[in-house]
Amino acid sequence: MSRLYKTIEPSVIDDEMLEEAVKKQGPSGRAGQIAQLEGIEFKDVKHLQLDYRNILKIDNLWQFKTLTKLQLDNNVIEKIEGLNTLTNLVWLDLSFNNIEIIEGLDELVKLEDLSLYSNRISKIENMDSLVNLQIFSIGKNHIDKLENIIYLRRFKRLRTLNLAGNPMCEDEQYSMYIPAYLPTLMYLDFRLIEKTTKEIALEKHHSAVANLMYHEDIAFKKLEKIRLQEEELALHKAAYVEYLNGPGLFNTMFSEDPEAPKLLMLPGVTEFVDIYPFTKAEFTNICQKLFTHGLKGYEKRQKELEHFLECLREAIEENQQKGVKVIKEFEEKNKEQFNEIQHMSDSQLLEIRIKEFRVEVNQLWNKLMSLEMQLVDQLEETMSNFERNISEIVTTYVENVQALIAQCRELENRYNENILEIAMTSYDKMGKNEGEEEMPEELRALFVDKDTVINTVNASHDMHLLKIDNQEDKMVTKANGWAADMIEMLHTDEINRNRKRVLEINIYVSHWRDELDFLELQDTN
Amino acid sequence: MDLLEESDEDVFRDEDEKVSKKGKFRVSAPKVDQLELLSLEIGTLSYPKSYQVNTPKEEKMLHYAENFRRQYIYLYPDRKPLLLNPLNECRVEKFVSTTLRPTLLKHEELYNWKDCAQFVADFLIVDPLDPINDVPEYLFSPTTFLKRQKGNCFDFSNLLCSLLIGTGYDTYCVSGYAVKEMCLVDETREICPLLKESDQINKEQEKPPMKKYSVKPVRELKSKFEMKQEARRLAEEKAEEERKQKELDYLADLKIKGTHDVMHGLRVHCWVLVLSGKREVPENFFIDPFTGNSYETTNERFLGIESIWNHRNYWVNMQDCKFGCKNVVFDLGDPVKWEYMLPDSDNSQVVLPESYEYLVDEVDDDDEKELEKIFDMPPSWVQPIVIPVKDIETRCPKGEKIIQYKKANLEKYAPYLNIDGMVKRLIEYEDIECTSFVKVTEWYANRKDMLERIERNMRTRTITEHFKNGRYMAVKRHIYRSSEPETDRTLKYNSRLRVDGLVSRVETPAEMTEKFKNRPDFLIYRQTIFAKRMRKVRLPGVFHLNYRTILKITERFARNRKKPAHEDVAEQVFLITAEHIHLTYHREDDRITALKREFALPPNLMQKDDQEINMEQIVVTFEVDPLAKPCKNVVLYQTMMDLLKTQAASMQSVRDSEHEIREFLKDRAAERKANELIISVYDTERNEKAKEHRKEQLRLEEEQRLRRAEEELDYLAPFLARLGQPRRITKKVAMTLRNDCLTDMKQRLIDKANLIQARFEKEAMELQNKQQWYQQNQIFMTKEDEQAYLAYCSEAMFRIHILEMRLNKHKETAPIKYLELEEKIRKDPRLAKKLKNC
Repeated sequence: MSRLYKTIEPSVIDDEMLEEAVKKQGPSGRAGQIAQLEGIEFKDVKHLQLDYRNILKIDNLWQFKTLTKLQLDNNVIEKIEGLNTLTNLVWLDLSFNNIEIIEGLDELVKLEDLSLYSNRISKIENMDSLVNLQIFSIGKNHIDKLENIIYLRRFKRLRTLNLAGNPMCEDEQYSMYIPAYLPTLMYLDFRLIEKTTKEIALEKHHSAVANLMYHEDIAFKKLEKIRLQEEELALHKAAYVEYLNGPGLFNTMFSEDPEAPKLLMLPGVTEFVDIYPFTKAEFTNICQKLFTHGLKGYEKRQKELEHFLECLREAIEENQQKGVKVIKEFEEKNKEQFNEIQHMSDSQLLEIRIKEFRVEVNQLWNKLMSLEMQLVDQLEETMSNFERNISEIVTTYVENVQALIAQCRELENRYNENILEIAMTSYDKMGKNEGEEEMPEELRALFVDKDTVINTVNASHDMHLLKIDNQEDKMVTKANGWAADMIEMLHTDEINRNRKRVLEINIYVSHWRDELDFLELQDTN
Repeated sequence: MDLLEESDEDVFRDEDEKVSKKGKFRVSAPKVDQLELLSLEIGTLSYPKSYQVNTPKEEKMLHYAENFRRQYIYLYPDRKPLLLNPLNECRVEKFVSTTLRPTLLKHEELYNWKDCAQFVADFLIVDPLDPINDVPEYLFSPTTFLKRQKGNCFDFSNLLCSLLIGTGYDTYCVSGYAVKEMCLVDETREICPLLKESDQINKEQEKPPMKKYSVKPVRELKSKFEMKQEARRLAEEKAEEERKQKELDYLADLKIKGTHDVMHGLRVHCWVLVLSGKREVPENFFIDPFTGNSYETTNERFLGIESIWNHRNYWVNMQDCKFGCKNVVFDLGDPVKWEYMLPDSDNSQVVLPESYEYLVDEVDDDDEKELEKIFDMPPSWVQPIVIPVKDIETRCPKGEKIIQYKKANLEKYAPYLNIDGMVKRLIEYEDIECTSFVKVTEWYANRKDMLERIERNMRTRTITEHFKNGRYMAVKRHIYRSSEPETDRTLKYNSRLRVDGLVSRVETPAEMTEKFKNRPDFLIYRQTIFAKRMRKVRLPGVFHLNYRTILKITERFARNRKKPAHEDVAEQVFLITAEHIHLTYHREDDRITALKREFALPPNLMQKDDQEINMEQIVVTFEVDPLAKPCKNVVLYQTMMDLLKTQAASMQSVRDSEHEIREFLKDRAAERKANELIISVYDTERNEKAKEHRKEQLRLEEEQRLRRAEEELDYLAPFLARLGQPRRITKKVAMTLRNDCLTDMKQRLIDKANLIQARFEKEAMELQNKQQWYQQNQIFMTKEDEQAYLAYCSEAMFRIHILEMRLNKHKETAPIKYLELEEKIRKDPRLAKKLKNC
């Protein structure tokens, strides 16, 4: 290859080359003629073969959106690139090139057959997204370590593998190593792996494989755990109760309040030792209630919605079946008649028949439209029913949330009163110069005068209330918003459906009318 | 209750009186004659002792029963006599409970009560009671009954009860009264059970629960008044019809039944009661032993119960049976409802009500109470019941049985009895007099062509053949009128077993419709319309070899979800003569219309490749979506070419189907003629091959045995004979024997050595002669002669060598053989002792 590279100018994939290839590889014979006449669009091409063309760089292939098979073998390509748009690719051949690194294949999720035979690759990597890979050919490359194979374990559908001609094949363990580490493999280096070979190989590498599997298992479990957690969080978010099943809200209330820790250092607070933890526990308790309530509300809403959607689907389906039946009946009844009319010679009779037929077509239109109108009526009724129910559910939910939030507020108020009282007593003590020595430095600044103390305490209180308000707001407005959006969406869907169906009916009916017009025109001529 | 109170006081006072009044044996003369005749017929003389004589315990039991009977007659003079101790076939009195012989048979077929009852009903012939209103004077053992295969209801119940108790059911024989039809096994008013089953299948289709958001049904714009009127009219019509039907039924019934039964309520019958509890029986029920049918205990066919018994005890019913058995309670522990004969250990929990307490005290002193304590039922005198496998298979006496039902007639045959393998035939009649039949159903077994059932419907004149799994081409059912091809027929297949997934194939003279399932190409339906055949004079049975012209093929496909709807063909119609192809694609999920294409095939499409064609003129498309991009002409052209190929393939598969039907019909005709039956390899009775094999094996075994016997011939015999077969072997005789034997052996060995030596010498001589002869004549010899000589020489040398070797071997083994014999003689059991010290 390299010799050729020096002597012949490398070429570029350009429009001309593509045109020519498409034309050559397109349909032949009469089909070819027809294709010529109307032209072939790149986006309709399924297979493309660009071999022996000295291509250096993969480029300009973005138009081939439906391409499933691409052959770029026997070129001088050095880097895999420009393939990201070809997402429908099933078959990719890059053999006999000068590729050094596997890359740029991340978007080719549908790929089943990949050939990188005779290149300069030394490591198997960057193929995580090729989950459907079945056949992989990477023979005659520079892979020298057997451990590279472990990477291939992630391809659960891999059945055929070609590794022949790599440095690693000279390893004496090679023939046993591969079947042991890839037990699902059926063909290796163009040969069937026999059952006995597999067994022996597994025996030989048993402990290593078992160890590997154990680690894989652990990794998998970890991933699974994370996934589950994420799912749970998503559910909580959907129910607007994220981080509520614990002291989350309480903690944010205090962590974002700069004054709180200072106030907690007041000498009196230590006397009421349990005021902070006690409040925390109670607060958490209420939050927990809020959390379960939120989840339940979510579940209820979801169930109601599912229920409704199912009924909606059923109703539409039933109506659709009726429509299909009407059309079928019409067609069965009138097909013969129409044929008859087409071949009629008596113009007077023809006219009468056409008139009759027109009446039939009108009747069909009436039937179909009335069916549609019925459905619209029915759906409107159930939809308003649903709307009423869902808003009721949301209202009760909101009321409950507000009640619980009110409890939170009350708790906060009580806490604030306590703090204020303590602060006031401390201030009074300060005034009397008692217990000054117990006061830390930062606190002393607070007790400059009465207003500052009260302001500080109030600021802290306001801060806390704000947090609570935010939470309430989030839960209430989101729930209300959800209901409104849902209903809005349902309405638009219904309108779209209705428009589509009416259009469909009209097209169908006008199709018949056109036919009749055509006949009449013929007749008058 | 008063009666009962009285009873115990009076009984003992009046006992003597009663004995004198009513004899212990109440056997009337004509009965005995009949019994004698029967006994002679059976040949009871050779019966075992237990049949002929009573054991002391049985005597005691009889005595006790007699006592019971006398009390009973005294207390209830109005009630009929009980069946307590009838005579058996050897004319010995036996207590009924001991006639029951609980037996568990090894036959799997008899383990279930249903099958068991059916077997008893099928296996035996009914012999009605005589007189019909009295319990019989004699009751035979089940063994005799089985041998005769004939008996009355008591025999039937006795046998069935024995078998059911044996398999673990809580079963009792019931003596009582039943309706005429039951006593006389008249099932002409019953619906055949085979017909009943088929009716029960299609039942209840569950209505889905009403959903919260289901749309309201469309309001029908109709006058309510008119609807009401219509409904009323319909209801009236229906009522009228029902009334008429009832009248007809009544009349028909009357015709069959005749007038009212004058003996109603007097006809004695015996049946079987199964109580719940054991073997997972959920509820008490009766079994009629004549038919094997089960009934609820409240069934109105059973008019009354006198007594019941099992192998342990005997109970007399004390409940009122004025209104049949409806109100009878089967709580055998209740002494008010059931008067027991023996205080059973099982029923010991019975507690007398308080009002009886004084009674208990009184009875305590009596010896009867003591008797009660000790006494339990003697063991059965009957020998174990044995039913040979052959009888199980044959089932009915002589292998056939005919039962008359209401509007139906059922015939049962043993397998292999009929040459065509028929085992059952059910004829259904249109009218109650059974004159014209509607439907004949025949069941077959063990047929080689897997035929299971044939239904001949006389009304529609159709024949339906049902086949078992495993038939060639997986045919399940064949419905037809005539065996000629190209006539009306329906074939049903087991689609899972067929490669092409064919479910059914319906043929009419001009049409063939095939249905498929689970095919990889999603084809579900193919209908072919043929042109009418030119009417020619043709002989029946001669098949047309040329095919009919195909006019039209319609193929339908299921939705292939992998393709978008507008590329997935739902229906393709090939109008072959008109050269049109119509395609209808699948609907999109939310649409009611579908894409359609019509191809008007240009002439000579296949021949000339260079001819220009205009796709716009060929294809007419109805597009559902006006915004969709029109399909490319290339694609249309390719579709068309593909369709042409498909058309050819479809035509071929139609031809194949036709061929298959013809082959099938030919096969059927041959099979119907052949009537071949399969014989299982496990069937040792019928399998000729296996029989032969077994015989051969026996023969071989026999031969081997003979050979072995020969081998074991006594080596001392000739020497013993020489000594005149001495009776006792003395020491002297033993010595002589040994010496003779050894000398003989030595002589034989020497003889043998000599023989070999002689042969060797002879051979050597000959060779020498030949050599001499050769040396003399060597000069005149031709090449062939020389060759022959050389060949002879080498052969002779070989022989000599062999002889030499044999001689040497003999010399080696001879002493060993001699010693062996000596050893053998020494160890011979006859001589060993005598020769010990020699």
